[in-house]
Amino acid sequence: MSSDVLASADAQARDAAPRAAEPGRSAAPRRRPTAILDAALRGVRRALPPLVVLVVVLLAWQAITRWGDVPRYLVPSPTDVASAARDNAPDLLTSLLTTTREAVTAFVVSGALGILGAIGLASSRTIERSVYPYAIVLQTIPVVATAPLIVIWFGASITSVVVIAAIMGFFPVLSSTLTGLRATDHRLTDLFALYDAGRWQTMWRLRIPAALPYVVSGLRVSSTLAVVGAIVGEYIAGIGNGEAGLGFAITQSAIRLETPYLFAAGIAASILGIAFFQLVNGLSRLLLGSWHESEMRVER
Amino acid sequence: MSTPVRTAPPVSATAADPDAAVVALDGVGKTFANGTAALADVQLEVAPGELVSFVGPSGCGKSTVFRLIAGLADPTRGTVSVMGTSPQRARRDGSVAYVFQDPTLLPWASVRDNVALPLRLRGDGRRERAAAADRALELVGLDGHERDLPRQLSGGMRMRVSIARALVSRPRLLLMDEPFGALDEITRQALQGELLRIWRQADDMTVLFVTHNVFEAVYLSTRIAVMAPRPGRIAAALTVAEPYPREAAFRTSPQFSAAVAEVGAALHASALPAGASAPATEADRVQ
Ligand SMILES: Nc1ncnc2c1ncn2[C@@H]1O[C@H](COP(=O)(O)OP(=O)(O)O)[C@@H](O)[C@H]1O
Ligand SMILES: [Mg+2]
Repeated sequence: MSSDVLASADAQARDAAPRAAEPGRSAAPRRRPTAILDAALRGVRRALPPLVVLVVVLLAWQAITRWGDVPRYLVPSPTDVASAARDNAPDLLTSLLTTTREAVTAFVVSGALGILGAIGLASSRTIERSVYPYAIVLQTIPVVATAPLIVIWFGASITSVVVIAAIMGFFPVLSSTLTGLRATDHRLTDLFALYDAGRWQTMWRLRIPAALPYVVSGLRVSSTLAVVGAIVGEYIAGIGNGEAGLGFAITQSAIRLETPYLFAAGIAASILGIAFFQLVNGLSRLLLGSWHESEMRVER
Repeated sequence: MSTPVRTAPPVSATAADPDAAVVALDGVGKTFANGTAALADVQLEVAPGELVSFVGPSGCGKSTVFRLIAGLADPTRGTVSVMGTSPQRARRDGSVAYVFQDPTLLPWASVRDNVALPLRLRGDGRRERAAAADRALELVGLDGHERDLPRQLSGGMRMRVSIARALVSRPRLLLMDEPFGALDEITRQALQGELLRIWRQADDMTVLFVTHNVFEAVYLSTRIAVMAPRPGRIAAALTVAEPYPREAAFRTSPQFSAAVAEVGAALHASALPAGASAPATEADRVQ
C-alpha cells in the first residue's frame, strides 16, 4: 500500500512541477490572453491521457465485478466502494482528519528535530563522532519492535501514534541534512575563513543555505513516512471510539469483512499521501526555486 | 633602450626595512600530513604596490604559497609575515583579499549580497554595505546587475563579481589564483586591462597573481616569480621593466616577445632536476 502512495505521488509530482513553476519565472514577459489559453489547453492535454486510463480502468473493474461473479467481500465494484464511502461519510471524514492531524504533527516534529539535531551534530566534530553512531543503531531497530513499547509509555492515544510516525520520519531528515551540512564547498569555507567568519556565521550564512537541497530531499522522504507511520501507529495503538484514524478503520473493516469500506479508507490514505508529497514539493519550490538546479526550469 | 627583463635587484634592495615588505617569506617549507613536500625553502619579499606573478607547472605549489600568505594554512618550516605581522592578524578587517580560480559565489545570494559578503561578515550596516558593494560593482563594470543571481551571468561577469567582492573591503593585498584561467581570450584580455586600471587607481595595493600563461604574466607584472616543482620553490624572479600604463601595443612589441622568451627559458631551466646547471639559471636565483 505504501508503495502505491509513493508511485502515484511521484507521477503526480512529475506532472505538476513544470506547470507550477511557470509563474515563478523571473524573466517571464507579461502573458497575452492567447498565451493563457495555450497554457490551459496544454494543461488539459497533459491531464487527459491519465484521466482516460482512469475511466477505462474503473469501467473494466465495474464490468468484471458486475458480470464476473466476484464476491463483494473479495473485490467490491467501484460503485460499491463509492456507496460505502457515501454511507459512512462522517466516519470516513473523521478518520481522515485524525490521520491527517497525526501525520502533520509527526512530520513537523520529525522535521524540526531532524534539522536541529543535524545542526547540533554538524557544529562539532566531537559531538558528531560520539553521538551519530547511536543514531544509526537506533534507526536500524524496526518500528514494529519499538511501537508496542511506545504504546506502553504513552498509552493507546494519539500521542503514541504521533511518536511512532515521528520516529519513522526523523532519521531521513537527520542523515540527509547532516550530509548536506558536511558537503559545503571547501572554497566557500576558505572564503569565510579568510574573512574571519565565526562558527555560527559560517553555519547560518553558508552551511545551512548550502544544505537546503539535502534538507528538502530528507523532508520529502519523511513526508511519505509520516503518513505511513501514522497508519501503522494506529494499527498498533488500536484507538477506537471517535478517535479512530484511517489505520484503525482499515483494520476494523478487515476484521468485519467490510471490504468496500476498507477500499474507501485505503484510497483516502493514498490521497492523503499524495497531498502530503505535493505539499513538500511546494515547500521545495519555495525554498530552492530561485537558485538550486533541481528546481530550475529556465535556460535549458 | 633598457632590456625588457632585468635580473631582480638583491632582496635587500627591494625593501630596505624587512618590516616594510607587504609579504615576506623566509625559508618557508610546507609538507602535508600525507608526506607531500609542496614547498621547500621559499624566499621572497614583496614591496608595497608591486604586482608579482607566479608562474610554474601545475602542482609546483603556487596555490599553497597563497594559502600560507592568506593564513588558511600554516607553514611547516620558516616564517610567513604579512604587513609585518602574522597572516591571520594581517587579514583582519579585510586587508587581505583572495580571488579563487572559480568565482566561488553564493548561488542563492544576489550579486550585490555576494559582493557585500566580506562587509556583512565583519558586521557593517546595511546601507554601508550596499553603497560599498555598488561602488565595487561599478569599478568592475557591472552596475545594473546588482539584483541578478550568479546563474544569470556569464563566466566573465561572474569573475568580475568575484573581483568586486575582493575589492569591496579595500584590501592592501590582493591574492589572485589563476583568476582568468577559465575565460576566453577576449574576456581574459579585457579583464587584464581592468585589473591593471584598478591596481593603478588604488594607492599602494599589492597584487599577487598566479597564472600559467606566460603572456599574461609579462603583460601584467612588475615582477615574475618562476616556480619549480618537487619540491616547490622559487627558481627565478624576473623584473619586467616596461612602464605603466601598458597599452595593447605592448603585447606586440619586441620587448614583450623578449620578456616572454626569457620567462619561458627560466621555466624550462627550472623544470630540470634541481642542481643541474642550465643556461638560464644565472638569470636569477633568488637566494
Ligand atoms: N591539502 C593537501 N594535502 C596534500 N597534498 C596537497 C594538498 N594541497 C596541495 N597538495 C599537493 O601539494 C602540491 C602543490 O599543490 P598546489 O599548491 O595546489 O600546486 P599549484 O597551485 O601550483 O598547481 C601538489 O603536489 C599537491 O598535490
Ligand atoms: Mg593551483
